[in-house]
Amino acid sequence: MFHNTKCDCGHQNPTGTTLCESCGKPLIDDDGSDLLEMRYDGMARRSQKSNPSILDKVWNFFSSVKIAVYIILVTLVASAVGTIYPQENTFLDMDPAQYYEQNYGTLGTIYYKLGFSHTFNSWWFITLLFMIGTSLVICSLDRVLPLYKALSKQQIRKHENFLTRQKVTYTGPLPEQAEAEAWTSLMASLLRKKHYRVHTDGTALLAEKYRFSRWGPYINHIGLIIFLLGVLMRSIPGWHMDQYMGLLEGETKQIPHTSYYIKNEKFNLELYEDKDLPESIKEKGQIVPKTYETQAVLYHCTANCDDNAAEPVLEEVHRADILVNHPLDYKGLQAYQFDYKSSPMLISVKPTLSNPRTGESFGSFDLPMNNPKDEYVVGPYKLKLKGYFPDFGLDDKGQPISKSNEPKAPAFIFNITGPNLAASGEPYMYFPRQIDKEAYSQDQINGAIAQKLNIAVGSMEGVQFAQYTTYLNIRVDKAMPYIWVGAAIFMIGVIMGFYWQHRRIWLRIDDNKLTLGAHTNKNWFGLRNEVAAAMAKNAIDISPKLLDKGGKQE
Amino acid sequence: MNVNSVSSTFLLIAFFVYLLAFLLFVLSITGKKWSNRDPETHTKRWGFVAFLASVAGFACHVTFFFTRWAEGGHIPTSNMYEFMTFLGMMIMFAFLIVYLIYRTPVLGVFALPIGFIIIAYASVFPSEVQPLIPALQSYWLKIHVTTAATGEAFFGVGFAGGLMYLLRAVDYNGTTKPNKREQRGLEFTLLFILILVGFIGSIFAFNGSGYKAAFTKQVTQTDAQGQQQTTTQDETYVLPPIVQPHGMQLVEMKPFLGMKQPLFTAPSWMEGASAGRKLNTVIWSVLTGLILYGLARLVSRKPLGAAISPVVKGMDPEDLDEISYRAIAIGYPIFTLGALIFAMIWAQEAWGRFWGWDPKEVWALITWLFYAVFLHLRLSRGWQGKRSAWLSVIGFIVVMFTLVGVNLVIAGLHSYAGV
Repeated sequence: MFHNTKCDCGHQNPTGTTLCESCGKPLIDDDGSDLLEMRYDGMARRSQKSNPSILDKVWNFFSSVKIAVYIILVTLVASAVGTIYPQENTFLDMDPAQYYEQNYGTLGTIYYKLGFSHTFNSWWFITLLFMIGTSLVICSLDRVLPLYKALSKQQIRKHENFLTRQKVTYTGPLPEQAEAEAWTSLMASLLRKKHYRVHTDGTALLAEKYRFSRWGPYINHIGLIIFLLGVLMRSIPGWHMDQYMGLLEGETKQIPHTSYYIKNEKFNLELYEDKDLPESIKEKGQIVPKTYETQAVLYHCTANCDDNAAEPVLEEVHRADILVNHPLDYKGLQAYQFDYKSSPMLISVKPTLSNPRTGESFGSFDLPMNNPKDEYVVGPYKLKLKGYFPDFGLDDKGQPISKSNEPKAPAFIFNITGPNLAASGEPYMYFPRQIDKEAYSQDQINGAIAQKLNIAVGSMEGVQFAQYTTYLNIRVDKAMPYIWVGAAIFMIGVIMGFYWQHRRIWLRIDDNKLTLGAHTNKNWFGLRNEVAAAMAKNAIDISPKLLDKGGKQE
Repeated sequence: MNVNSVSSTFLLIAFFVYLLAFLLFVLSITGKKWSNRDPETHTKRWGFVAFLASVAGFACHVTFFFTRWAEGGHIPTSNMYEFMTFLGMMIMFAFLIVYLIYRTPVLGVFALPIGFIIIAYASVFPSEVQPLIPALQSYWLKIHVTTAATGEAFFGVGFAGGLMYLLRAVDYNGTTKPNKREQRGLEFTLLFILILVGFIGSIFAFNGSGYKAAFTKQVTQTDAQGQQQTTTQDETYVLPPIVQPHGMQLVEMKPFLGMKQPLFTAPSWMEGASAGRKLNTVIWSVLTGLILYGLARLVSRKPLGAAISPVVKGMDPEDLDEISYRAIAIGYPIFTLGALIFAMIWAQEAWGRFWGWDPKEVWALITWLFYAVFLHLRLSRGWQGKRSAWLSVIGFIVVMFTLVGVNLVIAGLHSYAGV
């Protein structure tokens, strides 16, 4: 079917146009009296092409606001479902298959089996976000171009039908003794005072202001697109890192997969005093931390970094106190105070080797609980480390094991060679903590050698003790600048679009008959008031409300 | 610590001044039919007096805010009580702004009650000043929470506008199917508000009379080493237990209306923390809400919506539609900035990630998506009038769920709630 898109004024419009691009005359239903559809000033959009190809069909699908609303609604419902039970990633360490069944019964199992326990990482949720992104791009392009075209070439003298079918409109005679040209130019100067940009063409007038607010939606969509791209960029290898480290006081550890080492020099915890706490908390005997911080040192490893045998060469590059809300930041590598745990543990001791009978001392040595050396030389004796159990215990069969890697109950087995000892050496088991020494009967285990040699800590001197383990969250997120820029552009866009409104007023005078139409994309109340005020100053008194639909109130 | 007598006095004064302002707004609408007066002058004059009263109430409320800030040493937005009083304050602020644009006294009749219901709701939570935990020690506490609440407050005014539109536009004489559906929907919305009032009322009444019931249970857990550990879990009710928690024994219970023990036990799948107590609270709220609704129907002898609608009769529906939409349009950028962008910046600084799909974050996103849908439907698909009004009503329910429901029902990083 052929639809004539040529307007009476001689302008040839593309298919899909509803209002003539030039004079604004309605092309469809041209002698009706309903309000005109003013979106994009009635311009044809790409998605309204006839005979669409497959590409056009995809374009048309994503260019529909209806489809966009559906995608958003599905995302909304999916997100809500995702908050019914905690997501798997809420926990650092758990077995999801058991967790949901144990805590939430059958419903939990169904939730887990359907994959809602990782809603936000699932392929279908990410697909939804992709679809939102695609829709943002296509919807914006499909509309912004025709709108730009429509607004950049506006005709001043509009068709009468165009004016009378606006939401705010007025038709009536000019005041008596008023001369058409003079009336129009007074109107122009009144509207200019209200910051309108006014164009006149004889007795026709177009006043327009805040056109920029029409670009608001497109700018905020651009912001969202940049934001989503930023989120996407986090999956570029090396752009995103997220790991947790526990560090005892005094401990230095390599940050996995990097050439950096981080040291917890000291951990400080300050609690609120009783006088600062309200009764309800005091009654329960809760302790409330006021601040906690890790005094951290960041090292860069310059040599022997991945060599287990040799000591890495470390160079201090940064030093910072890490508090909640105050992360360490060094060239994009960030360390956050995540948590802490009270964990009284030994860091190192400085025991003395002596003869228990004579009390003769042969010297002392530094013994760290983390990475002790293979061999120590004390006076005439040589101590070879045969075994080290940071967290000593016995298994079912009575064999010694280490229950964990934390030095909670450290035990060392040395093979000692030297005067009065067998040439191949004699084993000596050493528990630095007095409580373990008694619990595991160190002297009985050692037997004969315990009569000849004794390893013991004489005083607290040289004993290093950690009170707390600090947990740091180490992060790298190179996409953050894009995310913030996207968010900022979004804000600029919504503020432009919501706090200003594009207002246009057209009028024409034909044989002393004034026809006026006005349009805004928001806030009709304000537009009506402005039009009525200007008209009142120009000798036509009409209440703002009567301008609505030209005073034809139902 | 002395419970900040100066500031709480100001809040109490603010509450009663708001109540007075509300009555003045009602007077400005209903009084215009009295004899010997010009309706328009009457509404204008009394509307202005009511507006002045609202400003006075707001000034007291602001005084409460700053004196509490001075007494507590940190901005009072750090727990549920403080947040809710702040939200109430911002709803009043948003109302004053929208009132100044449109000058419609009827708006006061609907927006003010939302404000003081929120303030009354705040008083359900413990009002003592609590010290700031390290996570909250950041200037973002001032920025994020205040902007988010301001955005939500405008949504609250949008809700008031939407409700007014519906009361104006729903045909209570109509008997067609859509008419009936709209009437039911509106009654349900009003019932929902009454349930909230019922909740606040019952907590107040029983808290005031010192009601208490206690339950306990022994929980045996097997830890990783295969050792059994037995812990005791206690539960205290402030409302008479209609439902007792699953698997718990009654320790003590004051008899209530001859009821000496709970009537039911919560179903076994309700195992979450305090699920039984929450269910009991919900039952109480619904019951008292239904009683209030029943009383209101008895007095008015017609559907509640039909009873209230004369108040908005003189209003132009299109103006109401625009007021509701305008409030949301003002609120949306503020909400985005406060509840999403500032939230992300703070989350990045405190937790190292700008987004972590924490329930509160997800619900803020849901709220944002919901209003995004509202705006798209309105701007691009021409949803105005009733459909738009319904969306603004539902939208504020989503906001309230994000603020209250998430804290009560779903736990997470933001769960600083008490009751």
